[in-house]
Amino acid sequence: MASQAVAHESEHHAPPPNVDADMVARELIATTTGASGRFKAWVWGLGILSIAGIVALVIKFIDQGDDSTKWGYVAALVSFLLSVAGGAPMVAMAPVMAKANWVRPITRIASLFSFASVVTLVMLIPLVAILPPLVTEGARRRTIWYEAPDYSPHIWTTLALVMLLITGIMLFYSAALPDFASMRDHSTGWRKRLGKRLARGWVGTDAQWRTLRMRIGMFGTFYFLILVFANFLFTTDFGQSMVPGWRDAILPMYHTVSGFQAGVAGGVIALYFSRKYMKLEKFIHLDAFWSLGRLLFALTLLWIYFFYSSFIVFWYGRSENDIATLNHQIKGPMIWAFFGAMILLWFVPWWILIWNKVRRGTTVMVMGSFVILVGLMLDRIRMFVPAWSVPGDQIHEKWLKVIPETYWPDIFDILIMAGGISLVAFIVMMMTRVVPVLSVWQVQEFNLLSKPIKYIRGHATLVAKPD
Amino acid sequence: MQQRRELDQVYTNRKLLNGQLDTPKWWLPTVSILGVVVLIGVVVIATMVNKGLGVTGLARPVYWGLFITTFVFWVGISHAGIMISAILRLTQAEWRRPVTRAAELLTVFSLLTALVFPLIHAGRPWRIAYWIMPYDISRGIYPNIRSPLIMDPVAISTYLTGSTLFLYIALLPDLGNLRDRTTGWKNAMYTVLSLGWRGNPRQWKMQTVGGILLSALMLPIFVSVHSIVSWDFAVASAVEGWHSTIFAPYFVIGAVHSGVSAVVTMMALMRWLWKWDDFIRPEHFDALARLLIVVATGWLAFTFLELTFALYGQDAPEIALREMQMFQWPWNALFIIFFLTAYAIPVPMWLFKRVRTNIALMFWTSILVNIGMWLERFLIIVPGLARRTPFVYTWEAYRPSPVEWTIFIWSFAWVTFLMLLFSKFFPLVPLFEQKESQVFTEDVMIGRAKIPAIVREAD
Amino acid sequence: MSKSILGLFQQPEPAADAMDGLKEAGFELGTFDVLTGTPYPEGAFGEYVPQHRLFRFPAFGAIIGFTLSVFLTAVTQLAYPMVTGGKPIMSIFAMLIIMYEMTMLAGVIATVIGIVFESRLPNMQPGIYDTRITEGWIGVVITFDDESKVADAESVLNKAGALEIKHA
Repeated sequence: MASQAVAHESEHHAPPPNVDADMVARELIATTTGASGRFKAWVWGLGILSIAGIVALVIKFIDQGDDSTKWGYVAALVSFLLSVAGGAPMVAMAPVMAKANWVRPITRIASLFSFASVVTLVMLIPLVAILPPLVTEGARRRTIWYEAPDYSPHIWTTLALVMLLITGIMLFYSAALPDFASMRDHSTGWRKRLGKRLARGWVGTDAQWRTLRMRIGMFGTFYFLILVFANFLFTTDFGQSMVPGWRDAILPMYHTVSGFQAGVAGGVIALYFSRKYMKLEKFIHLDAFWSLGRLLFALTLLWIYFFYSSFIVFWYGRSENDIATLNHQIKGPMIWAFFGAMILLWFVPWWILIWNKVRRGTTVMVMGSFVILVGLMLDRIRMFVPAWSVPGDQIHEKWLKVIPETYWPDIFDILIMAGGISLVAFIVMMMTRVVPVLSVWQVQEFNLLSKPIKYIRGHATLVAKPD
Repeated sequence: MQQRRELDQVYTNRKLLNGQLDTPKWWLPTVSILGVVVLIGVVVIATMVNKGLGVTGLARPVYWGLFITTFVFWVGISHAGIMISAILRLTQAEWRRPVTRAAELLTVFSLLTALVFPLIHAGRPWRIAYWIMPYDISRGIYPNIRSPLIMDPVAISTYLTGSTLFLYIALLPDLGNLRDRTTGWKNAMYTVLSLGWRGNPRQWKMQTVGGILLSALMLPIFVSVHSIVSWDFAVASAVEGWHSTIFAPYFVIGAVHSGVSAVVTMMALMRWLWKWDDFIRPEHFDALARLLIVVATGWLAFTFLELTFALYGQDAPEIALREMQMFQWPWNALFIIFFLTAYAIPVPMWLFKRVRTNIALMFWTSILVNIGMWLERFLIIVPGLARRTPFVYTWEAYRPSPVEWTIFIWSFAWVTFLMLLFSKFFPLVPLFEQKESQVFTEDVMIGRAKIPAIVREAD
Repeated sequence: MSKSILGLFQQPEPAADAMDGLKEAGFELGTFDVLTGTPYPEGAFGEYVPQHRLFRFPAFGAIIGFTLSVFLTAVTQLAYPMVTGGKPIMSIFAMLIIMYEMTMLAGVIATVIGIVFESRLPNMQPGIYDTRITEGWIGVVITFDDESKVADAESVLNKAGALEIKHA
């Protein structure tokens, strides 16, 4: 047995040491000021792209606002943004519910994406104006609004997204209260004044902490419920009901789950860059990447599961309806986008993330996350572009008799998509100038609850689990 | 909150091995009574095979009735094991420890029971061999793998084999323990079964790493099994209410709901019967109930989607089916009972910590859930077939016959019988996991508060 | 047969002392081992960390299972080409499901074989042992090729506070 014997010292590294609470506050608050030249250049670049995107959106609306078949890419973009910006804050919530300690330091970065939900809303505005009414040519199309008033899809989806934005910001704010107090106490200039105003007299009494925890739990639950609901409404009203005969009960959940996948990927990307360029290695441990990697891996498998569950039922069904749906969504003109999505959303990330070594590092993880986002965009394109390509006069038929021609993106579509995505990155980056990118009090709490110990002769971490 | 309690290992051994080392007084009478019920069931099954399916209430157009419902029900229950054992192992949930073995066991025995139903339902069970086993080489006739009815046995036997092996691997350290506590033929049996377990670091490491690896492998199987069961129905486009893309995850989450509830039922019984108050504690029920709230609400969302998208197409037959399912006697009564028992009564109750930590209430609510979940399967399977459609001229209202009910009752007696038999020879609570939790938990003082803490290995 | 002795401890701390002592006394890693009734965090006794190749087993099993499943699904369908339900004879999407199950099944079986093999089981002559180990005692077992070192080991165990020393 001697050949297998190795000294344990080489295998076991002591966990990273804890950082003092006052140092956490000082260092994290300092990250909000003094942006590097590279940061500024990126912000400018993204800002210009965002403005170009918004301008393109306005021009497209004026130019093509009367033709719904030309808006598939914008719908795909809204779906993409709803997934990424809407899904990322869930990264902050789900493990918190499971009382995982590793997630504490990174909840802030995920919840910064809540602000980016405003982009989803902006991009939705022209779609709401263009979305065909429930009754066209005297016939009512199939929707979930059986007897409801004609404006229902327009108004409820918009409301759901507004609610999502508000709840997301409330979730962010209720968790950021102690950090505003830290800014009030340790920052300077307008940040100090902002902190003073927003901290609302936070001093950290027992009662304040209790309320804080309750609020986070409450808004987190609301956020989750509204997110699922928003996904449900958007996929049915702005997707399924645009195509006669497309009846896919799993689609809302498919959309939600792939949204979580994209949200986690977005979170990993944000985490990677802030860790690397803001020098936060001592606060963001590799443990967080490892855990996120496992989560991402599970969600990647869920994607293929949900996809297959839907696909196999259509494939077996073989009714004209089923065949049309498959041709429209998968086998028809969009087949390459579909294959791209399949490879980038499932095969590549699955093959990357299955390795423990990858999940313990950062570089390949972030590459995998980018791959997932590209895959998600392709997936949304293959769903929403053909859905919006169906001419308005066929929308209320029993099933799709003619598969519409592929609509290729024009220059406006490309600008809008680039602009929308840039705007999300822009907003998240700008928010890191306002509040610390990691939650000060949660990093402190993380350090309080977990400490490296020596267990007899081995190294371990002792993680306290308060109720 | 995990209440930490120092438990001596000798005490742990004595208490948790009380089923094997000395027989509780109630054991023999209970097993005997169950044995009689099982025997009656076997006789009834044999009679049915002899006389043919005419002794059941099954007739055109309702060919799938109580048997298939009960089959789906038991497959659903079997999802408890891997859900609890694998997911909680992977997420390192500390409270899983006393639950895992019982949950895995429930998986194995309920799958064994589930398998019986399609077999006897085929009327001539021996003929099933022709269509599921690719053995007829001389005539070149092979199974039709395009049929979900072939995928189903493949998936279930995969799951059964996997969970049995999983159960055995996790049993090894406890078999070693039993070997150390017994003499005579029992000692010889445990010596062989424990394969010479000693408890060195290599063996423990394999338990940990292997347990995680097996969990990760079993999880995708667990999801596939009930999905494939659901495709037995969903790929049939001719029956209204069945052809829905949501069936796979809907069945899986429903299965988890009923399976975890069954684990709660079982844990309460274990605590009462073997007096394991020190090991199966209110906080375990609390944690399970919290999990159940989430699962049940997820399940409700899927139920909502299933219904919404059934009506979405606004096809007249589909609407008529749903109307029958929900508003026509006797289906409406079943539907109301289903909804009340599967969600409306238990879940609001579980919102209160007082209920979650009350073992009697948890026991009864978990039984309610399984009444509801059985009815759910019944309401999915039967009304779609029973609705009177054009061009079907022979129809009868489906009424399960006494034979079907007897076999239905037999299945419960059979699972319980197997469980009790198992408990005579093997511990129902994993001892080593229990002791491991003693090693891996410690109290830390944060200020003046004593907080339970867990030792996580550094990597 | 080589000789081995077993020192028994009631607490982990003295057992770890004994392990340290054995290392200092020049015993090679791998000739001594710790026996416990419950898993301890890895390296808790300063014991050697066993290397294993468990992760190769499921991969190997999965490859075998996949190959078999391809054969089973494709060949049987081609051997009895009867069209059912309007599906192609080589219905890849139906075959995928069977392939998936068989791949996973073989993966699981191979993993279980791997666990047993890598635990170095079955081992019907496990060597020196004490039943109190499953009652919470900790055993430090030393195997000798050279019997002259028995006394050294015994003194290390005694120094660390072994409650009992067994010989075999």
